Amino acid sequence: MNDDESIGERRRWVAEAVDRYGDELTRYACRLTGDPESARDVVQETFVRLCRQRVEQVNGHLGAWLYTVCRNRALDVQRKEKRMGRASETVLATQADAAPPPPAAAESNESAARALTMLDDLPANQAEAIRLKFQAGFSYRQIAHVLGTSAGNVGFLIHAGLKTLRARLKVN
Amino acid sequence: MNCQQTEEKLTAFALEELPDAQRRKVQAHLADCEACRAALADICATADLLREGLAGEPPLKLTDAQRALIELAASTRPWPESVPPPPHVRALRWLAVAAAAACLMLSSAAVAWWGRGQADTDRVAANSPNASDMAERRGQYSYDDVLDKEPRTRLAFEGDKKDPRDDAGKSGAVVTEGAPTPGPAPTGTPQSAPPDVGVTGYGDVPSPVTPPAASPSRPTNEEVVLAFSSEKDSKWARRDDRDRRSPLLHFSEALTPDEGLEKGKDGKKLDAQGRESPKDYRGLNAEEYDRIVDNPFLDSMGNPLSTFSIDVDTASYSNVRRYLTGGQLPPHGAVRIEELINYFHYDYPPPDDGEPFAASIEIAGCPWDLKHRLARIGIKGRVIPADKRPATSLVFLLDVSGSMDQYNKLPLVIKSMKKLVGGLGENDRVAIVVYAGAAGQVLPSTTCDHQELIVKALDGLHAGGSTAGGAGIQLAYKTAVDNFIKGGVNRVILCTDGDFNVGVTDRSELLRMIESNAKSGVFLTVLGFGMGNVKDATLEQLADKGNGNYGYIDNEKEAEKLFVEELSGTLVTIAKDVKIQVEFNPKRVVAYRLIGYENRMLRAEDFNDDTKDAGEIGAGHTVTALYEIVPVADQVAKPVMADVDPLKYQKPASLADAADSDEMLTLKLRAKEPDGEVSKLTQFPARDGGKKYGEASRDFKFAASVAAFGMLLRDSQYAGTANWDTVIELAGEGKGDDARGRRAEFIDLAKQAKKLSGK
Repeated sequence: MNDDESIGERRRWVAEAVDRYGDELTRYACRLTGDPESARDVVQETFVRLCRQRVEQVNGHLGAWLYTVCRNRALDVQRKEKRMGRASETVLATQADAAPPPPAAAESNESAARALTMLDDLPANQAEAIRLKFQAGFSYRQIAHVLGTSAGNVGFLIHAGLKTLRARLKVN
Repeated sequence: MNCQQTEEKLTAFALEELPDAQRRKVQAHLADCEACRAALADICATADLLREGLAGEPPLKLTDAQRALIELAASTRPWPESVPPPPHVRALRWLAVAAAAACLMLSSAAVAWWGRGQADTDRVAANSPNASDMAERRGQYSYDDVLDKEPRTRLAFEGDKKDPRDDAGKSGAVVTEGAPTPGPAPTGTPQSAPPDVGVTGYGDVPSPVTPPAASPSRPTNEEVVLAFSSEKDSKWARRDDRDRRSPLLHFSEALTPDEGLEKGKDGKKLDAQGRESPKDYRGLNAEEYDRIVDNPFLDSMGNPLSTFSIDVDTASYSNVRRYLTGGQLPPHGAVRIEELINYFHYDYPPPDDGEPFAASIEIAGCPWDLKHRLARIGIKGRVIPADKRPATSLVFLLDVSGSMDQYNKLPLVIKSMKKLVGGLGENDRVAIVVYAGAAGQVLPSTTCDHQELIVKALDGLHAGGSTAGGAGIQLAYKTAVDNFIKGGVNRVILCTDGDFNVGVTDRSELLRMIESNAKSGVFLTVLGFGMGNVKDATLEQLADKGNGNYGYIDNEKEAEKLFVEELSGTLVTIAKDVKIQVEFNPKRVVAYRLIGYENRMLRAEDFNDDTKDAGEIGAGHTVTALYEIVPVADQVAKPVMADVDPLKYQKPASLADAADSDEMLTLKLRAKEPDGEVSKLTQFPARDGGKKYGEASRDFKFAASVAAFGMLLRDSQYAGTANWDTVIELAGEGKGDDARGRRAEFIDLAKQAKKLSGK
């Protein structure tokens, strides 16, 4: 039946999206919500939302769509958590526990690990723009979409963030 | 293209994000410029490091149950666009889905619950397909359009159903949001029915809620499924905090009454849920707040002049926020209404070039007393763009005593200072002085192109010892004076929890010390951290005497606000000793009342006295003051005011010709340049155009709602007809764009306050 075919296609499409973006998206969400559990929940909801989109509406900018929706939901959750008594201080504390440790592998470059730690000392929007660029691999325009700002501002954020990091790392 | 222009574009160039024309220009410059080539190499190396580091971060995986759920969602057709199905049809639908889903690898119980949830999901999805179309047409993936409606409508629908989680033995009541939604509502359920923001599991409100089930272990995957399928929002409540509590968390929720932090640490004084009930705490004194008496109504004939110093501190708002999100109403003395209002940005017209600030006045109806008028005075300081900020010399004066040893104190201080330093450059310098058992210089004044040295010094700080605040202050000011930048920004930034309990503890001596140091021309920023021992009153006064501003940093976002977003405002003073004097026209004003600023009042004579200290305005700051005015008009009753005996040696004052004008008041401002000693006067008359409250600007409405909020928190007798619902409604009207969500956060706080007050 037609219905069955399109359901099958849809399932494949969603499954591919989950495979391709799921893990990184969850990592991204964890930065915003502060703990892995709520991050997983947020990402799960994001993909369920995806199930309700028409394929042709979203294809072509699937990544940006997923990150945008995920981000908005994560921020909502953050706000609600605050209101419900889990003040940001507790997020700070759980963040300390939940933040992924620097790469533990034997060959891991110490400088890379340092850069990662310093990334979190940058202003939040700079750190986020940098992650979207260097981890998720988005273009300035795509990042602008996710963050709800202009490409020019994204360029500024990344430039400023890198500049500070360079000064602190004293790379040579 | 020169080096500076190129420098700005180098990152975009390295990442291949520059449009062609610019790329060619940069390339041309690079061909001849060794320095820029080196910078480019630096950028590329840093980018590579980041890529490497970020690639090494372990990703988080979704659980198998979650993936299965998503697959299920992908397999289910959304409900067609129509009226939401009546319950019996929903039940049938549920059965169909349950049957179909039964063959998947989930337990049938889980599936049954999920199926019910899915039916709801489908129904709500049916209500929103047009919304998602609209969003697409606008080219935005605006979550709000498609999705924001959903939790609320679902909640409203669920409101009259038995909570499914009670059956499953889980805790809690349905969490709802009382705000009316713009989207389509499911039939049959009035949206106002659910109570506002019911929170469970935190023991902060004695409400008729099923006590949280003691679930000692983490929820299993199955339970996560349940959580997802039913009330999304209530899941946040249900997930029992105790499971995840670290000792630190435990401590953070203990707002200890007396002895100090150690008591809280051992946790003995806490109740079963790690909190103290709201009623116990108010009025206890580990945190110190001055008593504030509301300004009363004053008769305009006998008291024509109202004089006060401006205030740009925002600490009271952060502090009140801290209380409310922690589940307690703040003590009256912690609520300084002017600081609540001034926390927000308002769109006042900026000054002309060369002027330090501009003033504007708006007069409209008073929302809590319909016969009264409200006059809003707004002052906007000159905006200084980040690259035009003068060279800056800062001394961080950091409290590293034992009491600072908590995650929301010293570590937050370090994080905040790093954010601040990130915005400084080679023309700026930073020194670090700490005080604990003694005071010492940890970092000599260092230019900010050496970020790594500054960061290293910050990272090396540990808490320990008791506090010798006085000695630290002296050393900090000496360092600041030694590294003074003429014509630049010179400031000491004090970070502390206020616990000066060794050395100079006498408050007035401390203040005298600060006052004399302020004469050196170095300004002061005081930042409070932590809870339990915040000496709010002392810290505010320190800032006051030190020509400074006082902020309270309860979390990282607040640090971002002060040190990233408002860096220029925090650092750069554009006018000093700013005083306001308002003269009211008795022919138009029967009586008036200044809302807030109680501990900023000045005598009338102080206005022209340049030796009398007042507040400072930072770049881009707005200052707002509200007067409630009883106008001369029919049927407007005179407020109850104490009488003054008529004078024996003087005749009663009579009105001048100016009183016959249509002016209601004249606003006078005096201010000095940041390094000046002589004040300059500006005057603005204002007339009342009879605007009704409904016609007032959005900012006016929002400021009024914050004022009402403050009055309610203070149990003020002047709150008129205002109640929490009024506050929420008015704030909603005044919300506007609210790009950073601060006004929305305020509305959440008002709802929380309403819940806590039980009204």
